[in-house]
Amino acid sequence: MYLDEAWRILVANRIRSLLTILGLIIGVGAVVAIQVLGTSMAGAVNGALGTFADNTFIIFPDATQRNVRQAAIRLSDLPALRAIPGIQDALPIEQFQDLVRVGHNVARERIGAEGAIPFNNLPAIYGRIISSSDVALATDVCVLPYDAYTHLFPQGGDPTGQSIYVGPHRYLIVGVLSKPKQGFLNANFGGGGISIPWTTYVRNYIRGDSIFAARFVTADASDIPALELAVIAKLRALRGGAQGLAYQMFDKSQVTGSINGIFNAITLVVGLIGAVSLLVAGIGIMNIMLVSVAERTREIGVRKAIGARRAQILWQFFIEALLLCSSGCMIGMLIGLAIGGFVNAAFIVRLTGTTVAIPFAQAFGIAAGFAVIVTLAFGTYPAYRAARLDPIEALRYE
Amino acid sequence: MNNGSTQSSAAIVFERITKTYKNGTLEVPVLHGIDLVVKHGEYVAIMGPSGSGKSTMMNIIGCLDRATSGSYHLDGEDVSDLDDNALAAIRLRKLGFIFQGFNLLARTDAIKNVSLPLFYAGIGTKERERRAVAALDEVGLGDRAHHKPNELSGGQQQRVAIARALINDPAVLLADEPTGNLDTKTSADIMALFDKLHEQGRTIIMVTHDEEVASQARRIIRLRDGLIVADEQASPTTAG
Ligand SMILES: Nc1ncnc2c1ncn2[C@@H]1O[C@H](COP(=O)(O)OP(=O)(O)OP(=O)(O)O)[C@@H](O)[C@H]1O
Ligand SMILES: [Mg+2]
Repeated sequence: MYLDEAWRILVANRIRSLLTILGLIIGVGAVVAIQVLGTSMAGAVNGALGTFADNTFIIFPDATQRNVRQAAIRLSDLPALRAIPGIQDALPIEQFQDLVRVGHNVARERIGAEGAIPFNNLPAIYGRIISSSDVALATDVCVLPYDAYTHLFPQGGDPTGQSIYVGPHRYLIVGVLSKPKQGFLNANFGGGGISIPWTTYVRNYIRGDSIFAARFVTADASDIPALELAVIAKLRALRGGAQGLAYQMFDKSQVTGSINGIFNAITLVVGLIGAVSLLVAGIGIMNIMLVSVAERTREIGVRKAIGARRAQILWQFFIEALLLCSSGCMIGMLIGLAIGGFVNAAFIVRLTGTTVAIPFAQAFGIAAGFAVIVTLAFGTYPAYRAARLDPIEALRYE
Repeated sequence: MNNGSTQSSAAIVFERITKTYKNGTLEVPVLHGIDLVVKHGEYVAIMGPSGSGKSTMMNIIGCLDRATSGSYHLDGEDVSDLDDNALAAIRLRKLGFIFQGFNLLARTDAIKNVSLPLFYAGIGTKERERRAVAALDEVGLGDRAHHKPNELSGGQQQRVAIARALINDPAVLLADEPTGNLDTKTSADIMALFDKLHEQGRTIIMVTHDEEVASQARRIIRLRDGLIVADEQASPTTAG
């Protein structure tokens, strides 16, 4: 009864109602859209980084420093770095591109050094990954990533047991990795190409001593920040205590952390915009509700004369404000979901290949929460005014 | 009227009712001590010049306002010192209002208008509708149940308002100039309806400026300057 009366009033004044809730529609729409985008972006980044192992980190010299040559990490540093407590393994990161041939198929591919503990946690769809004995014995084997496999074996099928040729070298294919869920953040950092045991790589391709970067495997991912500092300190010590040498590091939690930081900042800004627009919208709603109470003073008088109690009048106007606010918030939510869903489908999913479920429940929660808060904050006073009217004066009102 | 049994059997008992409006420091005395007993089933017209206090008295009878002093028993209940919510409950249970300007809710069909008091009384939809249809039948508008006020003539709107006033089976029907907005012919129809209600045993109190209208009532009370100056039982009128 309260609801359909309120509905009748809002529909009778539909233009006014629509203008009144426009602010709410925009505010809630913006907040929900950003929320959907934030969730899908976070999901996309996690999807892209998902295969990068938690318990490894990478150290490389800062390429902008003056004495880059002195800062370079050397193969001969690795045994000392491997000896740091907590570090399980230290291996070089190197890769180059070359023509790779299998039978009549030729493709340009990256060839990279890999250890027994791989860069990316991708399961093998055929065969196996590089083993520790491959590393120990520097065997001439390789593992194909999914894209190289599709270039070299367009006809498909199990390629293990066949060989690829890279210049004068021949490597036996022992495995093929599954397709990674990425594309937008190419989180390879030296992995991702055709992998050969790093010992084989050193023997076949590294002429000097210095390497591009080094990768470290730790027993416990939570030690990574401390171990990164320990490795850098050790490198400086190995260069005779040169303090000026600059190194950079990369690990998964650092990337997810900084991306989360960006999202938090965006969320904060959008939250502030949302709050301001809701404040403005709320004042508009309060204004229109006060106008509505004034216009219907006589009606209120009649209702009171025939026996409506204060609470019943209060409730009537409160429901009306609630209906006004919730229609605004729900329309805003639908628009926000539509915009967020569209951008998500058109750009984020396309670019990253990662699909994240649209957070319907959270969007609904935001909309419903805003509706209740705005109604309570701005609908209560007009309803109270209506409830307090004196019936005689209200009946005399023209 | 000092007799307790009179108080409990009468519809309305005023004892030395006064009303003084206060506008800031300015005091406007309007009613100067009114004694009045209206028994159940009476049909009373209140007349008097403009400003004599008729509406003020009706507001007090209707529990829309409180007397400044004196005591008021409505249908045996002392309502002199009730708070707003208690007065609202009394209006809901014991009183039916008919206004000069009909005061129906716009954009709301007859049945919804008529059943509104029952809604405030917390009665369910089905029962409300059943009783609203019966009340509209009683005022001869059974076939207009789903018309909105702007689809009804003035007389029909006043009938809807009367049905609304009747729906809670009130002890007293109050009408402040019920025919003030109607033409002579329609007024006569409404007055005929009042007559019928009176014959059914309803208690009716009506304010009017129109001697002709007042003459339909069985008792005429005349006010002047906040005092009752005449209280006549009409001689039973015969048609002609
Ligand atoms: N709220 C108020 N504050 C001050 N004075 C008031 C108020 N209401 C009514 N009065 C005064 O009380 C007196 C009686 O008013 P009331 O409305 O009862 O007259 P009435 O007999 O109904 O007149 P009418 O026939 O014109 O309707 C008038 O002088 C009026 O000015
Ligand atoms: Mg009057």
